Amino acid sequence: MSTFVDEKPTQNLEPFKGVKKVPQEEYYTSGHRTCQGCESAQIMKLMAKAAGPRTVVLGSTGCMYVANTSYYATPWGVPWMHTQLGSSGSSALGAAAAFRVQMRKGVMKDEPINVIAFCGDGGGADMGLGAISATMCHPDYNLLILMYDNESYANTDIQISGTSPYGVNTSFSTPGKVKRIMNHRWKKNMAPLMMVGHPTVKYVGTISTSYPLQAMNNVRKALSIGGPTFIHCLNPCPKGWDFDPVLSFELGELAVNTGIWPLYEIECGKLTLYGKTKDIANGRFKRLPVRDYLLKQGRFAHFIDEDIEYFQSKIDEMWDKWLVPGIIPLQKEIEADTPPAR
Amino acid sequence: MATLTIPVEEKKKTHEQEALITGAEAIAIACKLANVDVVTAYPIRPYDTVMQYISQLVADGEMDCEYIVAEGEHSQFEIVKHASACGARVFCGSSGVGWMYAMECLTVTPALRIPMVAMVGNRALDDPGAFGVEHNDALSVRDLGWMLTWVDSAQEALDTALIAYRVAEDRRMFVPLAISCDGAFLTHSQALVKIPALEQVKKFLPPYNRGDLLLHPDNVISVAPQANEDWVMEIRRQNYAVTEIACDVIREVYTDFEKTFGRKYGNPFFEEYMTKDADVVLLGMGTMSTPVKVAVRKMREEGKKVGFVRLRWFRPFAGPEIAKCLERFKAIGVIDRDFSFGSPDLSGVVATEVRSAMYTSAATRPPVLDFICGLGGREVTVPDVEKMTEITFEAAKGKAQPLTQWIGLRG
Amino acid sequence: MGQLFAVEVIYRGVFQKTLAKNITRGIVLAAHNEGKLGISFGRYGDSPERNGIPAKSFAIVANDEETLEAGMAQYEPKQVDVTVVLDDTLCKGAESWAWSGLQPVHHALKPGHTLIVISLEDAPALLKNIHRRKEPYKLGIVRGVTSFSGMWVYKDDHTDVRILGAIAKALPKLMSLESVEKFINEKLKNSLKVTTARNAFERFTAIDVKAGEGNPEEVVKVGLPRWEDMRCGVSIKGQAQGGPFADPVTGEVGGFRPVRNELFTKYSTRTQRPVVNFATCTKCTLCWLNCPDGAFDITAAGTYDTNFEACSGCGICEEICPVKNCITMVNEDEFHDNNSQWAAFEKDKGAYLKWLETTIKKADPIKNRSHGFRYRGQYQEQVPEAMEIANKG
Repeated sequence: MSTFVDEKPTQNLEPFKGVKKVPQEEYYTSGHRTCQGCESAQIMKLMAKAAGPRTVVLGSTGCMYVANTSYYATPWGVPWMHTQLGSSGSSALGAAAAFRVQMRKGVMKDEPINVIAFCGDGGGADMGLGAISATMCHPDYNLLILMYDNESYANTDIQISGTSPYGVNTSFSTPGKVKRIMNHRWKKNMAPLMMVGHPTVKYVGTISTSYPLQAMNNVRKALSIGGPTFIHCLNPCPKGWDFDPVLSFELGELAVNTGIWPLYEIECGKLTLYGKTKDIANGRFKRLPVRDYLLKQGRFAHFIDEDIEYFQSKIDEMWDKWLVPGIIPLQKEIEADTPPAR
Repeated sequence: MATLTIPVEEKKKTHEQEALITGAEAIAIACKLANVDVVTAYPIRPYDTVMQYISQLVADGEMDCEYIVAEGEHSQFEIVKHASACGARVFCGSSGVGWMYAMECLTVTPALRIPMVAMVGNRALDDPGAFGVEHNDALSVRDLGWMLTWVDSAQEALDTALIAYRVAEDRRMFVPLAISCDGAFLTHSQALVKIPALEQVKKFLPPYNRGDLLLHPDNVISVAPQANEDWVMEIRRQNYAVTEIACDVIREVYTDFEKTFGRKYGNPFFEEYMTKDADVVLLGMGTMSTPVKVAVRKMREEGKKVGFVRLRWFRPFAGPEIAKCLERFKAIGVIDRDFSFGSPDLSGVVATEVRSAMYTSAATRPPVLDFICGLGGREVTVPDVEKMTEITFEAAKGKAQPLTQWIGLRG
Repeated sequence: MGQLFAVEVIYRGVFQKTLAKNITRGIVLAAHNEGKLGISFGRYGDSPERNGIPAKSFAIVANDEETLEAGMAQYEPKQVDVTVVLDDTLCKGAESWAWSGLQPVHHALKPGHTLIVISLEDAPALLKNIHRRKEPYKLGIVRGVTSFSGMWVYKDDHTDVRILGAIAKALPKLMSLESVEKFINEKLKNSLKVTTARNAFERFTAIDVKAGEGNPEEVVKVGLPRWEDMRCGVSIKGQAQGGPFADPVTGEVGGFRPVRNELFTKYSTRTQRPVVNFATCTKCTLCWLNCPDGAFDITAAGTYDTNFEACSGCGICEEICPVKNCITMVNEDEFHDNNSQWAAFEKDKGAYLKWLETTIKKADPIKNRSHGFRYRGQYQEQVPEAMEIANKG
């Protein structure tokens, strides 16, 4: 018997069959004051395009709040409401509950309304983790929580969050005269956390703005599968990661091709890898060295070779030792973690 | 002759009922009568019995709402905030530090014009973790644009909950409202309460209409864009405009309440008890009114001319009206079931506000003394009240008294 | 009241953040060597900065405490004695992160005072972009490659001290060259930089710009509403839906143009813009699909036309376009209008393609079009060339 309640889709959102079939309408346009090359803005655009006009967006505090609806202007062509930094989970639940009850009581037209709450990695992996977790348990409410991950609290001028990479330079983890590495934390494994920790969630996935078609289609799937859903997107950030904005798309690809950012969907418990990740897992593509990715970004410019090797070893471990490679960090043997002196 | 028996359910629609219920249950019943759409719950004593009652009402099919148990007060309040933004009539509540945990949400709701009605089961703030009554939890939002009212009986709790929805959802207002019920005394003790008929409530309370602020695909708006120094003053000024007319709206609603339900509250902002020819009065909020009124009656029998003013509405604070009421007395003793460390004269919140109102709006300048009493659920006893009255009389005679005194304290 | 000096530095957000701060701090510390007091600060409203979006940094200096306080009594000076522009594409004006509406680059400059611009262009070229104003002023060019770095890795190509040297020449009452040199020796401890500053001082000249001389474009101003007229509940109307539009040349209605928000445009965010070869374009959609600013209008013919209201000049479109040399990023200095390239192409394909060819030739090779970090060691490689170019000036 399936864990998953009521498997009928809530609405019919067909996947876009190719870039030329992507609708031209934009529900997130200009007016935002994001950086040149901001991939977080890009996922907002794709998310809104994928969801369409029958959508309500709750935007928690972060770059996609402050740099978007800046100073009484807005780029949103669908209804949008600010919510607090840790409230992506609760705001989505509140909106979904309100629509559900009003439709049931007959005071609101009964139709599928997309409820999407977005959060940055700061708001999602740190402050708002509890609220998202609670919301993931509620099978009655259809909603999507999309976490755009630029690997820092970007809006406050770049500080480490729970998803920042090991050793990264930010204004709260500056390399200095005595300490080269201030951030000892390894990146949180958010999507698997959401899936494994909440067994009735029907859809959890990772996406990348370097795979725009798949990203949009995964959003559409999450919006029609029913119940609470979670998508984690990696968004290269020219400001925080310190790189020429021209490289935004390329760095997204490199993150995938080095195995650092695996692409997959978990639909009703079934795991499917996609993109280059699939080829990495089945041996058809050899992971590029992490050095190629790290040294294109100023935030890793202070790394010595030992740091890069350590980083590589952790990625190798993800793919060579994890029982579900790239995704679930359970291992058969205990092995020591040996970072270089910091 | 055959008698026509109306089934109980039908009776509830058209006839007033009477029941023996707590203040918390009274509010739960008000939510049911008001056809609340979304309720969020999180356990903390003593408010949470209201949520237990609502849970039962939902399970028994007596109330149709989304009933969501949150994982913390911050989320609890955020959920109903957004539900309200999307058109749902909402109810929420908390006590003590639970209310404080929701503070970020409480802060943003007035500017967002969210007419949520919340019950605060007043409880002492941690630390220590006592769950007896203290008013600081609800009072902590007094600057933010919330409406605040204190009730002292289960009947008043039910009536005020209905009034609250009507006031909060008035388009001229559209700000959140907290109904404070003293923990234990009001939340847990049962009294006889008249429950209005559903039809009457429907007449009194129109459906919640969010108008052009509604968050829905048919209304493309952006709510709460980022602002800078070019915008904040104007935004705050809009909430200020609400406070300018709040007293008028409240008066209107109480008048309509009386017309609809036949129960008269008179002056909505405060109740006067035996003040007609009083020389001194005591002033306070909440269930301390019971021991105070008992003591006042006793002292009156002894020939002492004392009265009691019970504040109902703390926000809006009907300053000119309160000042005009108090200016005729020789001395006033404010009983603060709260603290305000470091305040002027080290007095509690209510005394500080009363003094401020009198300074600007009273024709006379009687001494206003402050008594810190009953914190953490400690009883305000009849002897305590007599003592406070005696001290106030001394002040009335012209004998200087300390501006702040702690009553019922060991030490 | 004593003498009060204000210097503003207009720069590209994030890319020149550290450089701007180094300059304004340098002014205060150098002036302090002559006994003056001062403060240095970035504009609060500009923070957090965004890549490319113009920002301002200030130095206020006075002879005495009270005069300094008078200068500090406002958030930012309404009038400055010197305006420094660290990227010459900013000469088109600054639509700063903190505001709505475009401000000419000399918006705060006192009449008769000096605008200092880092550029490889000459004054007539810059004056095509700098808006005309009612009052005359002086324009001085510090020859040099625009210095861009980022949040964590700094490119030290001596731009900071070159500017200090130029300011000392333009406004000797603020600080002398000796004061600047003393600051460099004591605080920066870099004798090479002393030489750079001195050379910049000696070379610096400014020409007079007459009243009414410059770019005739009318500048957009945005007004602010009264509280009574503002929608309540901190709400504003959302973005309207765009739709098909008439082709600028054929008049055929089709495609899609999103409604663009007038309250913030990206005209002044750009340091470079894409030029498109519509003849070789395969209409693959990738530029349009992957533009974070949604800057492409889809024409009725199905081509993708950059809308310069929204284009921030990031260059992703060039990187992602699968056709060689179809999209090329070119320095914003080369352009003096924001007209549709598609319209120009349709009007006269031959002329457009010729223009395209010459324009692209003027574009720097990609390694020099750096606006930011590409690989570790890059800045160390670029500095010697940047120094050489500057020294030629």
